[in-house]
Amino acid sequence: MSDTSKGANQDTVVVLRQITKVYPGVVALDRVDLAIHKNEVVGLVGENGAGKSVLMKIMVGLVQPDEGTIVLRGQQTTLRDPSNAIKSGIGMVFQDGSLVPNLSVTENLFLCHEVDFRKVGILSLRAMRDAARELLAQMKLDIDVDLPVAEISPADRQMVEIARLLWLSQQYGQENPVLILDEPTTVLADAERNRLFSILQDIKNQASVILISHRLQEILENSDRIVVLKDGRNVTEISASKAKLSRIEQLMVGHSFSADRFQEDEQAMPGEREILSVENLSMAGLFEPLSFTVREGEIVGLVGLVGSGKEEVCSCIAGLEKADTGGVFLDGRKLPSGSPSGAVSAGIGHIPIDRRSEGLALMMSVAENVNLLVLNRLKTAGFLSPAREKKNAHYWISECQIKTPSIGTLCVNLSGGNQQKTVISKWLSSRVRLLILDHPTRGVDVGAKDEIYKLIRKLAKEGIGMLIMCDTLEEDIGLASRMLVMKDGRLVKEVDSSPQKKPTPQDIIGLIV
Amino acid sequence: MADVKQADTADSEDASKRFARKGRISPVYFTIALLVVVGLLFYLGNRNFLSLYNLNTIISFSAILLMVALGQMCTILVGGIDLSVGGLVSFISVVFILLIKPLGYLAYPACLVIGMIVGYINGSILTRIRIPSFIATLATGGILTSLAYIVSPRPVNLAPANYDVVDGIVNGKLLNVSNVLYIGFAVLVLFYVILRFTSTGRNIFYVGSNIKMSWMSGISITKTRNIAFILSGLGAALTGLLISSIRYGGDPMVGNAYVLNSIAAVVVGGTALTGGAGGVVNTLFGAIFMSMLDNGMNVVGINQYFQQAILGGMVIISVTLTFDRTKTPIVK
Repeated sequence: MSDTSKGANQDTVVVLRQITKVYPGVVALDRVDLAIHKNEVVGLVGENGAGKSVLMKIMVGLVQPDEGTIVLRGQQTTLRDPSNAIKSGIGMVFQDGSLVPNLSVTENLFLCHEVDFRKVGILSLRAMRDAARELLAQMKLDIDVDLPVAEISPADRQMVEIARLLWLSQQYGQENPVLILDEPTTVLADAERNRLFSILQDIKNQASVILISHRLQEILENSDRIVVLKDGRNVTEISASKAKLSRIEQLMVGHSFSADRFQEDEQAMPGEREILSVENLSMAGLFEPLSFTVREGEIVGLVGLVGSGKEEVCSCIAGLEKADTGGVFLDGRKLPSGSPSGAVSAGIGHIPIDRRSEGLALMMSVAENVNLLVLNRLKTAGFLSPAREKKNAHYWISECQIKTPSIGTLCVNLSGGNQQKTVISKWLSSRVRLLILDHPTRGVDVGAKDEIYKLIRKLAKEGIGMLIMCDTLEEDIGLASRMLVMKDGRLVKEVDSSPQKKPTPQDIIGLIV
Repeated sequence: MADVKQADTADSEDASKRFARKGRISPVYFTIALLVVVGLLFYLGNRNFLSLYNLNTIISFSAILLMVALGQMCTILVGGIDLSVGGLVSFISVVFILLIKPLGYLAYPACLVIGMIVGYINGSILTRIRIPSFIATLATGGILTSLAYIVSPRPVNLAPANYDVVDGIVNGKLLNVSNVLYIGFAVLVLFYVILRFTSTGRNIFYVGSNIKMSWMSGISITKTRNIAFILSGLGAALTGLLISSIRYGGDPMVGNAYVLNSIAAVVVGGTALTGGAGGVVNTLFGAIFMSMLDNGMNVVGINQYFQQAILGGMVIISVTLTFDRTKTPIVK
């Protein structure tokens, strides 16, 4: 807390005061304060749903706060949109990148500012290219400036984005710009990651950096100060040198991890009957032939790094991708490969990672989303019966405890947790036999997470088999009764995870990497 | 909003209720309000605007526009658009007259089948060859317009000997009300039932609202889109039939105006061009509004040269009122 006293001194670049942002049904940020000083790296941590993203979106003008003030270099300002923010010296490198893939590095660097390279009214490509080389050289980067951005590595893409932001703020005469890096390392390999951080230390001489990452170790090693958000509120800020990993974890979650979080007492023994059997399934270049089974009421955790092939295995089972060899059998019957409708009618459900773009019809009502798969059951004399539709929707809304003002509320107006419960209830309603849960608690607040855990336990008791991929290893371990570890497209190990015999995350991490 | 948390404070509860209520004001009420206001202005300009005779004219024209607009609405709801309706209306208009001679009353079902086949072809170009409907139907619309000219380069009149075929159905009256209105009402009910009470109709909304989710949930995208375009072909064919029946003749140019008018009727009614939201009742009022404008401007004697401009201006005004832009940050 000693660091907050520094907030008033003239080294401060930007101060957010008492920022509040309310969305329908949820308070995303509740009187949050944040001060960024010159030449420092601030680590911003918090669970999914803690409000980090919204706060950063406010800093770059993508979202307007409902209350609170932004003071920039001593002056109160409003940041109308991202271009306004960058003119004021605040820029963000987004998780999924914001470069134009088909344009070259040079073109991307100076996008929309080509006018600065005009000679006698015509753009001088050579001047642009020279400036690009010089800019990248300053950052000790060796990138071919003529390559289209799509062809350079993810790490280089990030560097180009950072270089662009630095150049822009220079162009607008802003000293010490603030760069926001949102999960910069998720797509990077280890060596690239180290390079990013060494460059960040250089950049610190001319800018301030806000670093958002789920990898706490990274934050600890590379920031000067750590700000912890929880449930849309400031919890604390500590200087990184004094912080300990376990302490930060505790602050983020508000309580330490424990068995009862994942309802382990409720974990039932899986039945004997095999529901799903996967035999010699493979996709060329993505994963090698592999076989496994899922029994009645069993929760099988599929763990591995991004790129280990686990996502593709699930896509194959759900019929979203065509397998090259092998097959998927449900209750002994082979499913057609590459046909989602075949998988769905056989009884395979899929809760996708991105519920907004893949799980819900956002602009349609909760009832219409819940009833999607069972329309044929809700008919009288061949026509949909509004009364039966209503009944089915009401039943599942109360069964899954979806908090919604009415069954006619549009899904877009629900909170993340309730949206997820709507997706789950859609599949439950269809009497699914096997459910694939792809990061079921992503972007869901803590309270709703617990409810989703409860729901998952309940499903298992009803005999539904589940394949699950979670946000954290703790979650995988806590929920699953058996875990399949994947590495580089191969199924490397099977780990028992029944109650009392749970492995520790450390046991598993050794197998994954 | 993925990154937000549930709060149980009174404030946010209120906020969510406010939002829910605001969301429930259906865009169709704005269309109706506009209808009343503009209608009143026309009435002030010419008292005859609200005469029984003129109202009957407006309603008949609405019914004709409604057919093609309802079909157009299906393609828009499913996330596409049908620019071939103009060509199809023209084509059916002349083919119908020519078919009456050999087929008699069978010309009606024959034309409806032709319309649906054209719709199926449009749908298939989208779903199988995978060309966006905007381009696919722009092309087929051109082909159909040419076909209409090839079949009959000049307007063609119905032989008086065959008048009974059109008089018996379209131009007849029941209880002193033109059969056009009964047909319009029947088709309105048909589309309402399809969209509201069948799985196919619901799937049109699901696919238009989120195509990836629909595919992952096992809905047949190909079938749903094809049906939407078949419905559009059916609607355009009906419009073609009605026009030729009322005029006792076909015209290879008559459909041109219906491309923009059908789209305008759909969006003025409040159906989003982004797909997934809207409905039959919206389009009904949209069609009435467009027909009333067309008629009213002539009744109050607005210069022909200004009419298109006023029509365009009214479309912008009404879409401003009915289209909920708060939910779409970037409008293309």
